[in-house]
Amino acid sequence: MIDIIINMMAGWITIAKWEFFRSKLKFDARSLILLAVSLLLLIGASYMAAQTGMNMNNDMYRVALTNPDLEPVLGIDQRFNVMTVDIDTASNMYATDADLVIIDPNVFMADTEKSASASEALKSTLKNYREGVLTSYNDINNSHPVWVTIHYLERPEAFQVLSGERPRSIAEDGEEEVIATQLSPEDVEAAATGGSITGEIGTGAAPAPPQTADEFQEIQRRNLFEKQTIATPSHFAPPIPFTAILYSFMFIFPIYFVSQFYSSSIMDERTNKKCELVLVAPLRGADIVIGKTVPYILVTMVIIAIVTTYIKGLPTDTETIKSSLLILATMFPIVLLFFAFSFISAILSRSFKELTFAMVFLSVVVSGYLFFPAMFANVHAISTISPMTLIVLLIEGENIKMSEYIFSTLPFYFVGLSVYVFGIYIFREEDLFTQKPITQKLLDCVEIFLSNPYGSVFLLSIIFIPFVYMAQLMLIVMLFNLPLPYSVIVMIVLAALIEELVKSIGIYTLFKRKMVAPTLKNAATLAVFAGAGFFAGEKLLVFITLAPIATSVFGSVMTMGTLLLIPLMVHITGVMVVSLGMYAISPRWYLPFVLFASILHGLYNLFILRGILFG
Amino acid sequence: MAKQKSNMTLSPRIVMLIAKKEYRVVMHERTFILSVLIQLFIASFSTFLVIGLTSFYDPTALGELDMGSTKIAVVGNVDNDSELYLLLQNSDLAPILYGEFSDAYTAFYDRRVDAILIIPDEPPGGYEILDIDIYLPRSDLKATLVSLQLKEPLEKFEQSVRDIRTKRISGYTPLDLNIVERKTKTSSTYFEFLYVALLPLLVFTPAFISGGLVVDFITEEFERKTIDLLLVSPISLLDVISGKVLLATIIAPVQALAWVLLLMMNGIVIHNVVTILLLVLVTAMILVLVSGIISVMFKERGMAQLFYSLILIFLFMISYLFTNSPMNLVTRLSIQSIGGLETVIWLGGYSLLAVVLYGGLLKVVEGE
Repeated sequence: MIDIIINMMAGWITIAKWEFFRSKLKFDARSLILLAVSLLLLIGASYMAAQTGMNMNNDMYRVALTNPDLEPVLGIDQRFNVMTVDIDTASNMYATDADLVIIDPNVFMADTEKSASASEALKSTLKNYREGVLTSYNDINNSHPVWVTIHYLERPEAFQVLSGERPRSIAEDGEEEVIATQLSPEDVEAAATGGSITGEIGTGAAPAPPQTADEFQEIQRRNLFEKQTIATPSHFAPPIPFTAILYSFMFIFPIYFVSQFYSSSIMDERTNKKCELVLVAPLRGADIVIGKTVPYILVTMVIIAIVTTYIKGLPTDTETIKSSLLILATMFPIVLLFFAFSFISAILSRSFKELTFAMVFLSVVVSGYLFFPAMFANVHAISTISPMTLIVLLIEGENIKMSEYIFSTLPFYFVGLSVYVFGIYIFREEDLFTQKPITQKLLDCVEIFLSNPYGSVFLLSIIFIPFVYMAQLMLIVMLFNLPLPYSVIVMIVLAALIEELVKSIGIYTLFKRKMVAPTLKNAATLAVFAGAGFFAGEKLLVFITLAPIATSVFGSVMTMGTLLLIPLMVHITGVMVVSLGMYAISPRWYLPFVLFASILHGLYNLFILRGILFG
Repeated sequence: MAKQKSNMTLSPRIVMLIAKKEYRVVMHERTFILSVLIQLFIASFSTFLVIGLTSFYDPTALGELDMGSTKIAVVGNVDNDSELYLLLQNSDLAPILYGEFSDAYTAFYDRRVDAILIIPDEPPGGYEILDIDIYLPRSDLKATLVSLQLKEPLEKFEQSVRDIRTKRISGYTPLDLNIVERKTKTSSTYFEFLYVALLPLLVFTPAFISGGLVVDFITEEFERKTIDLLLVSPISLLDVISGKVLLATIIAPVQALAWVLLLMMNGIVIHNVVTILLLVLVTAMILVLVSGIISVMFKERGMAQLFYSLILIFLFMISYLFTNSPMNLVTRLSIQSIGGLETVIWLGGYSLLAVVLYGGLLKVVEGE
């Protein structure tokens, strides 16, 4: 038994070793020196850019001044291009060569959007100037007399992720919140009889307003990653979780770079048929694919581990070790998905250009999926759709629950792995080294799946569910720009199109590749199976993941009628239309029938949603 | 010597032929469509972020859309003429007075109010700090909304307290400017997003893509060894490279024009369109020449793409460092914030850089 396992592993380990050492050889001395130089330049430039505040809005507003004393005031904001002129010139420049004309103490502006925007910018600049001047006096009680202390309290959410409330870590949030968390109104009332609860909550680790200018500076220099807990009203800012984007970039850039090499390496096997020799060797396609993939995944995970250490610090205590490991565990499915997409792009594309574009496209889409919900980390529970949100929470020192991990990473695991399985199916000579059209290669995947003894249209529909789920989530982001009723309508039609396409692709393959006889009985039975499979898969998905967002507005648009309410019949009808259509005319009419079925499906969904849309 | 000569000859006819061939391939593979999709996605994604966030974080941007007033609990020894309480009443919030914190907390827990605000006893004219405690619901959209709505009354309150107290600071005179408001109102966040982020990003994305495209054009010939076949014919290496560089460069401003037109159709005013397109052309040429040099040097896709990406990010970073970087130039051109002479000088400077890079490309090709 062990012999067999060793033999099975030996195949891909050989390839992996080979891949690792060969690709290392690509970095000759010259490349390594150039790489080091360009990385140093990049780090230097980024550091300098960070010092300037990362603005590209230099000199966008032109301001004419008559009082030269104001020049340094506006000078603190790089947006203003300031000219000091005499009063006559200033009044001539009004509304022509200057967006704002300041004839002390009046600010005149033109009736244009640009001027309006400039005046808003001026207001914020004046505010910053005022704060700066006041801070320079060491007299906090008079210069900054009002302070706001922000506390966050738990309360039952209107909508929750799976079940229960998120337990908060005690160390980070200060005592008062823990007290509050465990208090029910009854407790509060009980406590109130004994004395004021305000006093109890007010003690603990709550920060106090600063006493000196130095302390004040300290508070202003609040770490970007920390939540604001105390501020003056002017500095009081709602929680904008832009940090999430920063993390995403730090973690995703390495993946992007390594996946470039990975896809090049896969493509390399195809150009010049290098891999032909390997394929005739007694190795399975899967061995080659795993062998070629594992080194790249390992390298990426090592880089991510380094990034994690950079953010979290060296893992010295168990808490840091635990959250660092959890970060790696959350990043792994993301890496897997990126690599799966790189792999399938490399297998399908006919040229380097196509590969680059396919990869950029898929990276952009996946990054969008990761970024968008993570923007709402700490703001809304829907953000847990993206694993990036979990990363943000972990970096902030909070715990994540197993159910949350499953909720956000399961689609990544599922899509990543099934893409690999489909890719391995066509990792064979006739697909790798020929200029077959992409659609034919995709049909090959489906054909091989269906010729498997366990393959069936029922199972195929289930497998496609996570793909549909991710695609529909992306559609929400893409269609956000359209005005409201239209965006929902387009969303419904496109969502229906995706669903009809994946439900019937198996039947199309069976007919087209003549795997089953195109009889009426076959067409009808297959349609029932495909439709039922999709229905079953949907229910399964809803059960595992969708429950938390099903009650939100976005969730209801996405699921209402299609994933929750539409009975089995609609799914079967849609695929039946396509199936019978192909039987009656020819499989060549596949796409028109899919379109027709999508329209039917979309109309039904519109009918279900009519109250929301038109009511 | 003979070999080098054939490496370096340049025939415009052959260059055009190569460019046309690449054009047909790009069109045939529909990579172009994918490229447009990528740009569309980037555009809609960034608009999503900004429109979504500005309307979310700046409720005035929502205009007439009434969000309804959020109820908040106010605790403290406030009589009805307490200044902060009055400011709260005049804001978008609906304050409800509670005598005891525990009552307010019960209301908060039962979702009858969405925040608790504790007003300190210290009078505005006093000498101690006025510390206001705010309790917000955790992980809830309401927390952000309430903070947003609280900011304005709180700032007004701060201002009125300061009006009393800053008189005690010797040597401080507040700077007062009277802004004469006009009819047109706009959020500067939105305006700046449009002209500082979206427009430059859209017009330059085709140029970024062109750089990557050239890497593929060139390394593919080397990796598939098709370059050897081409070179035995009377075509020189310089012809091949120039043809590819030419095509990749000229498709950038064409796409940029499409974006500009699309934005204009949406009612966004863009000035100096021709100059902007010229700038895109020059920038695309710089990027394409850089990636051309890299590709001829490395002859291998993975390496060339890696270096191109690194250099692209590097260039992006240094454009933060000075006024009139290509991105900034587009912003200033589109809103007429730059004079003619300044434009000519900078555009000329970038063109000069492109010429220098072309010299570099010639050198690298000659070295082959």
